Amino acid sequence: MFSHIFKYRMKCLLRDKETVFWTLAFPIVLALFFNLALSGINDQETFRAIDVAVVNDEEYQKDEIFQSVLQEVSTGESPLFNLHVVIKEQAEKMLEDNEVAGYLMAGSPVTLSIKQSGLNQSIIRSFTDYYVQNMATVASIVQKDLGALDSLVNDIENQVTYIKEVSATSAEPNNILSYFYSLIAMACFYGGLQGSRDVSDIQANNTDTAARLNLAPVHKMKTFLTYMSASLLIHYGKMLILLLFLRFVIRVDFGNKLGFVMLTTFVGSIVGLSFGSFVSALLKKSEGAKVAVLIGVSMFLSFLSGMMYQGMKYIIQEKAPLLSYLNPLNLLTDAYYSLYYYDTYSRYVENMLYLAVFIPVFCIGTYLIVRRRKYANL
Amino acid sequence: MQIFKLCMKVIKKKLPIMSIYIGVFVMLSLIMSSNISKETEKEPSFVESKANIAVIAEESTPLTEGLIKELEKNADFVEIEDDTEAIQDALYFRFATYILRIPEGFTQRFMSGEEVMLEKTVVPDSYTGVYIDMSVEKYLNTARLYVRNLKDIDINQLVEYVAGDMTKQTNLVVTVPEDKQVDFVYSNYFFNYFVYSLFSVLILGISTLMMVFNEDNLRKRNACSPIPAMRSSLQFFLAILVFTLVSWMIMVVCCVLFNLKNSININTVYFIINSFVYALSCAAMSFLIGNLIKGEGSLSAVTNVVALGSSFISGVFVPQELLGSTVLRIASFTPSYWFVNANNIIAKTSNFNLKKMEPVFSSMLIQLGFTVAFLAVALVVGKKKRYA
Amino acid sequence: MVIKVENLVKRYGDLVALDHLSLSVKEGEIFGLLGPNGSGKTTAINSILSLLQYDHGSIEIFGKPMTPEAYGIKRDIGVVMQNVAVYNELTVYDNIDYFCGLYVEGKEKRKKLVQEAIEFTGLQDFIGFYPKKLSGGLLRRLNIACGIAHKPKLIFLDEPTVAIDPQSRNKILEGIVELNRQGATIVYTSHYMEEVEQICTRIMILDKGRAIAQGTKDQLKDMITLGEKITVETSGITPEHIERLKRIPNVLSVEYNGVLVISSGKGQNNLEYVLEFFKKEGLEYGKIYSELPTLNDVFLEITGKELRD
Repeated sequence: MFSHIFKYRMKCLLRDKETVFWTLAFPIVLALFFNLALSGINDQETFRAIDVAVVNDEEYQKDEIFQSVLQEVSTGESPLFNLHVVIKEQAEKMLEDNEVAGYLMAGSPVTLSIKQSGLNQSIIRSFTDYYVQNMATVASIVQKDLGALDSLVNDIENQVTYIKEVSATSAEPNNILSYFYSLIAMACFYGGLQGSRDVSDIQANNTDTAARLNLAPVHKMKTFLTYMSASLLIHYGKMLILLLFLRFVIRVDFGNKLGFVMLTTFVGSIVGLSFGSFVSALLKKSEGAKVAVLIGVSMFLSFLSGMMYQGMKYIIQEKAPLLSYLNPLNLLTDAYYSLYYYDTYSRYVENMLYLAVFIPVFCIGTYLIVRRRKYANL
Repeated sequence: MQIFKLCMKVIKKKLPIMSIYIGVFVMLSLIMSSNISKETEKEPSFVESKANIAVIAEESTPLTEGLIKELEKNADFVEIEDDTEAIQDALYFRFATYILRIPEGFTQRFMSGEEVMLEKTVVPDSYTGVYIDMSVEKYLNTARLYVRNLKDIDINQLVEYVAGDMTKQTNLVVTVPEDKQVDFVYSNYFFNYFVYSLFSVLILGISTLMMVFNEDNLRKRNACSPIPAMRSSLQFFLAILVFTLVSWMIMVVCCVLFNLKNSININTVYFIINSFVYALSCAAMSFLIGNLIKGEGSLSAVTNVVALGSSFISGVFVPQELLGSTVLRIASFTPSYWFVNANNIIAKTSNFNLKKMEPVFSSMLIQLGFTVAFLAVALVVGKKKRYA
Repeated sequence: MVIKVENLVKRYGDLVALDHLSLSVKEGEIFGLLGPNGSGKTTAINSILSLLQYDHGSIEIFGKPMTPEAYGIKRDIGVVMQNVAVYNELTVYDNIDYFCGLYVEGKEKRKKLVQEAIEFTGLQDFIGFYPKKLSGGLLRRLNIACGIAHKPKLIFLDEPTVAIDPQSRNKILEGIVELNRQGATIVYTSHYMEEVEQICTRIMILDKGRAIAQGTKDQLKDMITLGEKITVETSGITPEHIERLKRIPNVLSVEYNGVLVISSGKGQNNLEYVLEFFKKEGLEYGKIYSELPTLNDVFLEITGKELRD
C-alpha cells in the first residue's frame, strides 16, 4: 500500500513542473546573486579613490612634506585619494556639492573640513591623524637628536607590521559563508509549502480528492506519512542539488564535513516540512492564508537569523537570547556554521538537538489536529 | 469599469492575506532601519563605535601597559580565558570581536629591534577591527621610531613620548552645524528596503489577486466578453495601482511616524517622491510576473528571486560602494538600482538646487522608463495569454 | 439490511440540515434519495459515510456501526461524489489505478479491475488524457470509474449526472442498472425525478432534511389523492364552465390556461365523464390525453411546492 500511494504521490508532485522548477531554481538563483554581491566585498577593484580637495594656500606651498605625502597616496596603482588642489572657495563649493568628501588645509595640525561624517570621511581622518602624529614624533626625536633625521625619514617610509592573524580554529572565520548557510536554511524551510499541501490533500474539508481518500480503507495517518515521505524525498533531492551547486559551482566551504552537512540539511528539511504541515493544520481551510503565513514567517525568521543583515543575528543573541534558540532557521544556520568553524562537534550537536525538538512539536501538533476524522463542514 | 470594480471586491476579500504580507514587511523594515541607524548614529561626532576586544597578555611591561591604555580609547575590554574553546566561543557568540595576544618576551625583543609579532584572532570583516589594527600598528611603529633613532632610550621614557604623540589629532571642522545636522541614515535605509519590503508585498499581493482571474475557466469566460483585451488589462492595472498606492502609503507613513524628528525636511519629500516612482515600477513588474506565473507554489519562489535577489545586487543589503563594478552594471538593468542610487544621493544632499538634483531626476526618469517597458510587455503577454 | 440509519440529526448553526432522518436500504436495491436542491441529500450521504460530524443518531452499514476507522466496511463501499474528485496531475488511467489501489492490493487483479472500469465507462480512447483535457461528460464518467473500479458491494452515487448531456446521462444510468444487476446495492441521489423513477426500486423523498415519503414509485403515487390528469386542448371555456366541471364526480381541481387541465382522484371512468361534459355543452376540442401522476405531483401534494426550482 505504501509503495502504491507513494508512487502516485510522486507522480502528482512531479507533474506540477512550474512549482518543481521554481522551488529548485530560486535558491540557486539567489545563491548566484549572493555570490555576485558578496564577492565584491573582498575584491580590491571595489575600492574607489576618495575625492579629496586640498586648499592651495601659502601654508600648503611651504609644507613640502605634506605635499609629497599627499602626492604619494594619490598616485600609483591603487591610490587612496583622488586629489584636487584648489583655492579655498572652490574647495568649499566642492564640499557643498558633494564633489569631494572633505577638504584639507595644511598647518599644524592639519585641518580637515567635512560636511557630515561617513566611511570616506573616517578614512581621510585616519590618514591625517597618522600624518599629524608622525610629524609630532619626528619633531620630538629631532629635538633630542638632530642627526637622526635621515634615518628617521627612512624608517617612516618603511613601516613594519606588528600584527599577524591567527585563526582560532583550523577554518578561516568567514562572514560571507553565513549568508549562504542562512540561504540553505531558508530553502529548507520553504519545504513548508509542500508540507502544507500534504495536509490540505488529506483533509476532506479541503479538497474533493481528500474527501474521496477519507472514504478509502486506508488509515489517514498512513496516507499522510506516505505523502510526507514523498514530499521529503523530492524536497531533499532539491536541497542536495542546491548543496552540490553551492559546493562545486559557487565553491562555498562546508569544512570537509559534507556528510554532516547532508545530515543537517535532512533534519532541516524535516523541520521545514513539519512546520508547514502544522501551520496548514492550524489554519484549516484558507489556502491563501496558509501560503501567506508560511512565507511571512519564513521571511521573518530568515531576517532574524541574519540573512538580509548579518548584524541582526547578534542583536538578537545579545538582547533576546531565548529568541535565537526558538528560531529554527537560526539554529540551522548556526549548525552549518559550527560544522565549518569548530574543530569539535559539541556546538554542532547542541544546535541540532535544539533543532530536533521542533520536529516532535510540529508533528504532534499536526497529528492532534489532523487526526480528527469527521468534519463539521465539508 | 466592471473589471476594476470586481478587482476591488477581490482585494477586499483577500485583505487578511495582504495585511499579513504588509505587516511582516513593515515590521522587518522598522527593526532593520532602527538597528542600523543606531549602529551608525555615533559616527557623526566621530566617536567610533567601540569594539569588544580581549587582550591575552603573557607579560606585563610598561610597553604593553601603554599599548593597552592606548587601545582603551576605542575599545571595550572583556575578559576571556586563555583556552582554545573559550576563544572560539567568544568569537562565535561575538562576546569579543577581536582577541589580541601579546607573547612572552615581546617587550624585550621589541626593544632590541628584533622582529616580533602580536597575534590577533578576529571576527572577519568587522570595521571596528580595522580601527584596532590601526591603533596597534600606529602605536608600535611610533615606538619603533624612538627605539631606532634615540639610542638607549629608557622604556618608561619611550612610553611617555609615544603616549604624547598619540594625543595629536587632526583639526576637524564640520561645516554643517551640529544642530542643523539631520540624520538620514534611518530614512535612507528604510526607503532602500522598499526594494525588498514594498516589492515583496506588491508581488505577493498582486499575484494573489491575479491568480483569481487567471484560473483557466474564468480566464476563458472573461475572454468571451466584449471588452477588448487591452481595456480589461488596463482596468486591471488600475486596480493594481490602487493596491500599490495603499501599500506604499502605509509604508511611507510608518517610516515617517517612527522617525518624525528627522522627517520634516525637503530630503524626506524627495525620498517620498522617489519611492512613489519606484512603487509604480514595482507595480508594473508585479503585473508582469502575475501574468507569467500560474501556481501559488511558484509565487513565493519568484518573489524571493526577484525581490531578495535585486536587493542584494542593487545595494540594499550590501552598500553600493562595496559592490563590484560588474555587479553594479548588471544591477543597472533593474529599477531597484536606480531607486537606491537616487536615495543615496538624496540622503547626502543639503541646500537643494536643480543642478544638484539632476542625477536624482534622471534616476527617476529611468525608473519610469522601466515602468513603461514592464507594462508594455505585460500587456502583450496578457493579450497572448487571453487567446492562448 | 445493508444500511440502517436511525434518527439522524445534523445542524449547521441554526439550520437543521437533517431532521431525525431514518432510512434503511436492503441488499440488491437501487435506493433513490429524491429532493430539491438543499434538501439534505448530500449531507445525508456524507453523514452516512462518516465524513461529517452529526449531532444525533445511529448509522449501521453491513450490520456494523459506521465510523471513520471502519476500514472493513469502507473496503466494500464505492463512492461517486457530486464534485468531480480526481487528480489533475494524473492521467485517466493513473487516476483510476490510484483509487482502485487504495482498496485492492494485488497488481494483476487491479490491472484487470481498472481495465473493466475503463470499458464500463467507455473511456478506452482517453486513458492517456489528463483530466483538464476531458469534456464535462467524460470527466463525470472518470469520476464514476474512480468510485467503482474496485467492485464494491455498496455504491453511493451523489448526483452523478448533474450538468451532463443526455447521451452521457443515459449511458451512466444504464451503467448503474448494470452494476446493480451484477449484485451491487446502490444509493442514488438526484433532483431529477425522471431518473429516479426510471432506475430506482425504492425511493425516499426529502424536503428540508426530513423524509416526507418513501416506497416504490407506485406506492408513492398511491399515497396521494391524485389519480390522473386529463388535459384538453380547447377554446371558449368560461368561468361558468369551470364551475360546472368542478361538480363532475371525482374531479379535484380544474385549471384553464389556453389548455384545460383537470385533476381527478383515483376512480373509474374519469375521462368518460369529461368527454360527456364536452358533448353536452357542445364544445369543440383538439387533442385530449390523460396522464398518470409523477413524483413531482407526489412532492407537490405533500409539500405544496414544485420539486423543480
